[in-house]
Amino acid sequence: MSTLSLPVPGWLSRYNWPRGLVVVLTLLAIFTPLSLIFFQSFLNAPFFAPVKELGLDSYRFIFDDPDFRQAFLNGLILASGLAAIAVPLGGMLAFLMTRTDLPFRGVIEPMILVPIFVSPMVMAFGYVVSMGPVGFYTLWVKQLTGVEPWNIYSFFSIVMIAGLTHVPHVYLYSSSALKSLGSDVEEAARVAGASPFQVALNVSLPMIMPALSFAGVLVFFLGFEVFGLVLVLGDPEGHLVLATYLYKLTNKLGTPSYHLMAAAAVCLVAVTMPLVMVQRWLLKSANKYVSIKGKGSRQKPLPLGKWKWLAFALLAAWLIFTIVIPLSGIVLRAFVSYWGEGVVLADVLTLQHFRDILEQPSLMRGILNTVLIGIIGGGVAVMCYAGIALAMHRKPDGITRLLDYSVLVPRAIPGLLAGLSFLWVFLFVPSWLEGGLKMFDNAFAVWLADNLIPQLRALRSTIFSVWIAYTVVWMAYGLRLISSALLQVGPELEEAARAVGAQRGQVTRDVTLPLVKYGLLGAWLMVFLIFEREYSTGVYLLSPGTEVIGALIVSLWAGGSVDLVAALSFINITLVAIGLGLALRFGVKLNH
Amino acid sequence: MSDLSVKNLTLEYGSGASVNPILKGVSMELQRGEVVALLGPSGSGKTTLLRAVAGLESPKTGTIHLGDKAIFDGSKGLEMPAEQRNLGLVFQSYALWPHKTVFDNVAYGLKLRKMNSTDIAVKVKEVLGQLGLGHLGERFPHQLSGGQQQRVAIARALVYNPPVILLDEPLSNLDAKLREEARAFLRELIVRLNLSALMVTHDQGEAMAISDRILLLNNGVIEQQGTPQSMYETPNTLFTAEFMGSNNKLKAKVVHNDGKTATIHVNGLQLQASVRGQNIGESATALIRLEKVRISETRCDNAIELPLTTCMYLGDKWECLFGHAEDGIRAYSPYKLKDGHYWLQMDSDKLWLY
Repeated sequence: MSTLSLPVPGWLSRYNWPRGLVVVLTLLAIFTPLSLIFFQSFLNAPFFAPVKELGLDSYRFIFDDPDFRQAFLNGLILASGLAAIAVPLGGMLAFLMTRTDLPFRGVIEPMILVPIFVSPMVMAFGYVVSMGPVGFYTLWVKQLTGVEPWNIYSFFSIVMIAGLTHVPHVYLYSSSALKSLGSDVEEAARVAGASPFQVALNVSLPMIMPALSFAGVLVFFLGFEVFGLVLVLGDPEGHLVLATYLYKLTNKLGTPSYHLMAAAAVCLVAVTMPLVMVQRWLLKSANKYVSIKGKGSRQKPLPLGKWKWLAFALLAAWLIFTIVIPLSGIVLRAFVSYWGEGVVLADVLTLQHFRDILEQPSLMRGILNTVLIGIIGGGVAVMCYAGIALAMHRKPDGITRLLDYSVLVPRAIPGLLAGLSFLWVFLFVPSWLEGGLKMFDNAFAVWLADNLIPQLRALRSTIFSVWIAYTVVWMAYGLRLISSALLQVGPELEEAARAVGAQRGQVTRDVTLPLVKYGLLGAWLMVFLIFEREYSTGVYLLSPGTEVIGALIVSLWAGGSVDLVAALSFINITLVAIGLGLALRFGVKLNH
Repeated sequence: MSDLSVKNLTLEYGSGASVNPILKGVSMELQRGEVVALLGPSGSGKTTLLRAVAGLESPKTGTIHLGDKAIFDGSKGLEMPAEQRNLGLVFQSYALWPHKTVFDNVAYGLKLRKMNSTDIAVKVKEVLGQLGLGHLGERFPHQLSGGQQQRVAIARALVYNPPVILLDEPLSNLDAKLREEARAFLRELIVRLNLSALMVTHDQGEAMAISDRILLLNNGVIEQQGTPQSMYETPNTLFTAEFMGSNNKLKAKVVHNDGKTATIHVNGLQLQASVRGQNIGESATALIRLEKVRISETRCDNAIELPLTTCMYLGDKWECLFGHAEDGIRAYSPYKLKDGHYWLQMDSDKLWLY
């Protein structure tokens, strides 16, 4: 019996050119916009200005600006306050949900994650209409008690709201750490005589310290990036953070002050980038900790006894504050024509706001674009992420390390900045290319200048520009979704394919991809949710043709059209709810 | 000419200060139609050697030839990728693709070789038939028992007639009872199909039963190689002697040594032993297999007198412990012994000195 030999591989498959292509495109997509920001920040005038010089003028300007210093300080206070609220609450919540006999856990679990998937802009708007000076709940409480119950616009309120809405982020990481922690250590503490509260405080939470500290750095980082919440709630009393300072800079000098924005952006990234690196380092050490698992994962939940209903009441209060109040406010506001003191709800119910939306083509386009960018854009983004993840999959070499660090870079850039930098890419890269091409006068360069450059320019006013910005901003998140699916494929399944003679591409096509099919579908759904929720990235890219609901809400809010914002928020929440419903129905893991 | 030859292969994990050598210069040959077992404790590098032959690990120096073709040559920087080596590999975990049926799992290697589908169907049926899996082609791996999964993994590796088949601990995932049947099946299959096979195992019984030749690896080097009988009956080192069977180990003081036989003192008693190790000094280790110790109720030559401590029932025989567990002697007896003192006779040619 003679050995059946393999076909000789062609010259194309000798080089891993798909991987090379993926690496080059990824690095271009990440670093072109970022380097534009850096370059612009060292110019003393915008790109398009005829006279411009390299220098530190823009930094000098913003450092001298008292608003900038106040915004930076506010950002620090907000981030620390947020972490101080979210970490202890999130840790306790995770303990209650994973370890105790808290009632109605099955119902509560999916609800906890809702604040993560609702756009912060929508959330903030919800708080304004329900708890603002003339909000539904404020007025009802005022009718009952006769006094002004709270001031939602104070900086303290903003920190409280930000803290309470970020509890789910901490919950996600601590609950997954708790789930992988053996229950035997807790049982030992109970046998020794510790109450449930003491077990949590002395055993469980200290043992998941690495996960908690990771979550702490994460929410501090998210706190530094907060944009929508402060934009909406901080405006009346003039509270600024760096992101809103940047946003307001557009109008500060009358002309587009790109150089100042870039300088502020670089300052923001200078804080977020180290935070991202710390997160990465903490996540690695947290994973090391998790591998020390106890035995016997199936355990009887810890009985809370008399604390049961108190714990439940606290949890219910949190759910009411972070989900029920803002969302119910939006729903109510979307269906009333106006609202104020002495108005009877039944008299003002209307569908007029939705009819208004139907009549405005730009809003209708925005809704359609949002749906399309979620479904089609999300699908294409998942394909891109899968390509990058496969380029890094089980190839421990320099290129993988380079990609691994590079994809963290967009993570450090807040969406608002990413949108701005992509706007610059679309504005300036075509003209530079054109300038560059003019220097060659062969036919090919002329053809390129005549055909490619206008195409590139046209891209700016299509939804593609928003899509690429979204895809780059959420790259680290998407890659985590996909690489966790890829890691489920045992390495020996791929090695077995190589041993019978499959080349790289064949292994991927015939073994790896079919096995991660459902993981990819789940990732698509998650990316859909994230893209529906996104608002800040589209703000600077907003133009006729590139409208998305999130950016429209920001711009309509600035124009004061509360009715339309309410109706659009309602539509946005509905889209997210459909996605969440599908995710729960198909059992997609929401905790990434 | 040998089917597979490995020369001076070295391999290390990590680099710089944290470098961890796994293989430290291993050479071996595999003749056509021969079965060689790579035997050794965990961490000895046996699986790494197999994976290096398969192309799944990158050695540092040395050469690997398949027939007369070089598939790895450290000095020339030649390393043929795993998928071009045309070897058959059976994984410890079987690594069957869960999304493909048994038929598709086996057919995949033929599909990659651009065979047309009617020929594939014939060939796959033939191989599945040879392995007694003829009726299971449409099933998915998770619908099969452990033993059936293992045979599918073997079928998948055999279907394109590779010159050498590599087996990584093929029996260790089966439960004890099934393992003995699978051992007989595998030996019969290898003989029937005249396969050249390289097999990794940590179980010396399995290695002796299946292979024609054993390579015992210890800490990245080959400790000893030879036929199963020579490995068991004439081990050259203490490590080999200890690894290949169940032994009694005695601390001995060498009184006289003529290079072939020696007079030793064990607990003050004088015994004759045969010298097997190199460079034996004042104190040495004497070793005898459990089944070579003869139990006598009366005084006899070359024997140690010890009281019986306990007898353990093993089913087909009793294992009796004389003296204490740490420095006592164990021996087999066909029946349960009465309490009392016994003389444990150790023939001088079976009592090895290292």
